[in-house]
Amino acid sequence: MLFVTYYFMYYLPLQIIITLFVLIVVFRLTKKYKENILKTSEFIGWLIIWIIVVVVFWLPQTTSYLAFLLGIGRGVDLAVYLAIILIFYLIFRVYLKIDKQQKEITKIVRYLALDEKDDSRPKTQDFKE
Amino acid sequence: MINDNTKVFIIIPCYNETANLSAVISSVKNYGQVVVVDDGSIDSSEQVAREWGVVVLKHLLNRGQGAALATGNRYALNHGADIIVHFDADGQHQAEDLPKLIQPIINNEVEVVLGSRFLKKDNQIPWFKKWLILKLAVIFQNLMFGIKLTDSHNGFRAFSKKALEKIRITQDGMAHGSEIVEQIISHKLRYKEFPVTIMYHEFGQGIVAGLRILKDLLFGKINK
Repeated sequence: MLFVTYYFMYYLPLQIIITLFVLIVVFRLTKKYKENILKTSEFIGWLIIWIIVVVVFWLPQTTSYLAFLLGIGRGVDLAVYLAIILIFYLIFRVYLKIDKQQKEITKIVRYLALDEKDDSRPKTQDFKE
Repeated sequence: MINDNTKVFIIIPCYNETANLSAVISSVKNYGQVVVVDDGSIDSSEQVAREWGVVVLKHLLNRGQGAALATGNRYALNHGADIIVHFDADGQHQAEDLPKLIQPIINNEVEVVLGSRFLKKDNQIPWFKKWLILKLAVIFQNLMFGIKLTDSHNGFRAFSKKALEKIRITQDGMAHGSEIVEQIISHKLRYKEFPVTIMYHEFGQGIVAGLRILKDLLFGKINK
C-alpha cells in the first residue's frame, strides 16, 4: 500500500498536467475536424497519437512491455529511440524539402533571366522536369 | 579554321568578378558570341559586361555556378548555337586555348571536349591543392563513373549542340562538374580531354568546397 501511495504521489501531478494538455489538444482537433480543416484520416491519426501519449503516462509499464518485445531493456529507452528515429526522419524530410525549394527558386531565377531577352522567351515546357 | 557559319557561344558564369571580367570578355569575344551570366553579383560585374555589348543574363539571386551555366546553356540552345564553350570569369583560362579546344568538335571527332590542367606539364598548380584536392577529386570521380579522366571540375569545356541538348545540369552549386561527366557517360557521348593552361590568381575551391560537392552529389542522388 505504501508503494502504491508513493507511486501515485510521484506521478500524479505530471499525469494530470499531461492529461489536461492532451484534452485541450483533442478538443482543438475535434473543432478543426468539425470545421473541415482536418481530413478524417488526419484526425484519426492525430487522435491515436495523443491517446498513446495519455496511455503511456498513466500506464508506463506498457512501454516496458513493448520494449521487452523489441529486445530493449527499458521502456524509457524505447521512447528515446523512437523519438530520435522520428527526429532524424523529420530532419531528412525537411532537407529534401529545402533542396526542392532551392531548385524551384533556381527555375524562377532562370526564367526571369531568360525572359528579359524578349527574343529568347523560353518555351514553357522547358521548365517542367 | 572556324567556319563562319558555325555559331560558337561562350558562356561565362560570373559572380562578383569586376576585377577580371573585362579582360576575360575582351580576350574571348573574337571567338564567338559571348554570353555572360551574372549570377546575382553585388558588385558592378553586370555593368562591366554590358559595356562590352555582349549578351548579359542576370540572375536576380545568387544560385551558384551550375545554375548560371545551365541558364547560359539554355540561352545558347534557344539561339541556335552549334558549339557551346564554358569559360571561367576569373581569368584562369587562356582564350588562345579556345580554338584548339573546339577543333575536335568542328572536325566531328567528338561531341564534348573537357579541358584538363594536368595534361599540360607546365601548369603552376599549388602543390597542396594539386595533390590533396584535385587529384583526390579525380580519383573519386573515376571510381564513381568507371572512367579514366585526368581532371575533374575544370571549368573550361566545349559541347556540340547535340551533346548539350542531352546534358541537363541540375546541380546548382559546384557539383555540376561531376554531373556533366556523369551525363557524358550515361548518354554515351564521344568525348576527349584537351590540355589547357591554367593561371591561378587565387586558391579557388578548398577542401570544404570539395566536401560540399561530395555532399551535393550524394544528396542529388536521393532527391531525384
